[in-house]
Amino acid sequence: MSDAALPGTLRARPALLSGLKGAVAGRLGAAIARQAASLGWLLVLPAIALPIWIIGTDRGWLPEQILPRPADVLHTLRDMIASGELAQHAGFSLLRVAYGFAIGASTGLAIGSAMGLSRRVDDYVRPLFTAIAQVPALAWIPLAMLLLGIGETLKIAVIAKAAFVPVVMNTSAGIANVPKAFVEVGETFRFTPLQMLRHVVLPGAVPPIFTGLRYGLTHAWIALVSVELLASSEGLGYLLVWGRQMFWLDTVLVAMIVIGVIGFVSDKALAVVEARLQRWRLDGR
Amino acid sequence: MSAVPKLADDGLSSIATQPGRGRLEVRNVSKSFEVGGAPIEVLRDVSLDVAAGEFVAALGPSGCGKSTLLRLIAGLERDYEGAITQDGDAITGTSLHRGIVFQEPRLFPWATVWQNVALGLKNSPISESAKRESIAAHIALVGLDGFAQAYPHQLSGGMAQRAAIARGLVNRPRLLLLDEPFGALDAITRVRLHVELQRIWAHEKITMILVTHDVDEAVFLGDRVVVLAPRPGRISRVFDISVPRPRERSDDDLVRIRNEVLRVLGDGEVASVDQAPAVRLAS
Repeated sequence: MSDAALPGTLRARPALLSGLKGAVAGRLGAAIARQAASLGWLLVLPAIALPIWIIGTDRGWLPEQILPRPADVLHTLRDMIASGELAQHAGFSLLRVAYGFAIGASTGLAIGSAMGLSRRVDDYVRPLFTAIAQVPALAWIPLAMLLLGIGETLKIAVIAKAAFVPVVMNTSAGIANVPKAFVEVGETFRFTPLQMLRHVVLPGAVPPIFTGLRYGLTHAWIALVSVELLASSEGLGYLLVWGRQMFWLDTVLVAMIVIGVIGFVSDKALAVVEARLQRWRLDGR
Repeated sequence: MSAVPKLADDGLSSIATQPGRGRLEVRNVSKSFEVGGAPIEVLRDVSLDVAAGEFVAALGPSGCGKSTLLRLIAGLERDYEGAITQDGDAITGTSLHRGIVFQEPRLFPWATVWQNVALGLKNSPISESAKRESIAAHIALVGLDGFAQAYPHQLSGGMAQRAAIARGLVNRPRLLLLDEPFGALDAITRVRLHVELQRIWAHEKITMILVTHDVDEAVFLGDRVVVLAPRPGRISRVFDISVPRPRERSDDDLVRIRNEVLRVLGDGEVASVDQAPAVRLAS
């Protein structure tokens, strides 16, 4: 789009405008095609692995107790769905992640924003935050067990901590790095601090904040499985441990598949929300 | 030169500023920055009076402090010696009475052209309907009607700078500050926007101060050209340009003044001053 066509005649404008619309539609089409292509690539590895699995179990490369047949796993999956067992365990896990992530992400957003906005808050809080962040969520479990017991509070606290760390890091960096040039524009319009936050700082920090939220959710899932492995009598992580102890590897595989699928879907859901918030970035990703 | 869009009933006349406002006084202004513990003098004893409705072009090589001077007038920097007043009031910070257009358009990429211009009116006391009217009128004024819903990344450099001008004007400021607004544009677009800016200035009847290192731009647009010398920045000479408007670039008087300005700046090297900032120019 050249500026040369612009200022003169009014006649030139409809053509230019429809050109613009065409370009936008083209970009959207391209984005959808890219999504489809990436889904295609996603299926490449399973397409290779599944036949090997089927052949391997048919030929008895591994004892059936260790590597069950895909058909058996599918059968168990159906059974567990039909009996409501799977939904029950998944429900427990989802609820824990939901609580933990909500608590971790919201406190992370608040503290990360404060650190990004105020040099002083950052100076006071960052050393402590870094010290907490350097100790993995798993390593907090023994101490947390003594303090909180092995009930729901423990699980939610560990998950919240896992989500909290990446959210704080990305939010504080994203807000602190909003270009000064944009802040100056706000100053010339005499923006109040609230207007500056609403119209300049937050929109400018959306991409890094969402990166933090997505990492936070991923870490929350990882922490969930860890904490359910150690201290739980229900949930998908428990299903894994229990299946292994009983030598029901089909159950273990079902739990793994479900954990993977839920993690994948929830990450995609956040990606969709992110894209909605950034419609201005049509040529982004 | 291509035809300039005609503005019949554009809704601007109904919200006109009071005439005779927009006078600026810069009195003995000096400014230093601290760089690595050592103070660097950017402006030394700069004094300048700008009449209401006047178009002043501040011309100089990089490092002459012309952008700093503009930032002081805008109220973006408040730590300096001397006094700057607009219509008799000391400038203590940014104001809706002073618009500014930066070298880069600085449009918020997450907002449409309309929203970008509208943000300029966030703290304006006028009614919502008057705001909508003013936004539409200024988008039309810069020739961007049809692009109100476009996002900045969909605009060319020239169109983005037009949108920035609309945003700078939307509060109907008495004074518009332009900080090398056309510096990053190609020559054809720049020449076109000179004509546009001249038309807008004539239409709005407000004071404009343009900072530039382009001699042709300064001479073509200014009522006066203030030549600044670098290190420390100070006024070396002021040219009155009484050539009537609309001007032709090839006008004999303009060409004569232009050559004289070039001579003052130093041996015709000025066209590429920015590439040779070490050259100390004659004052």
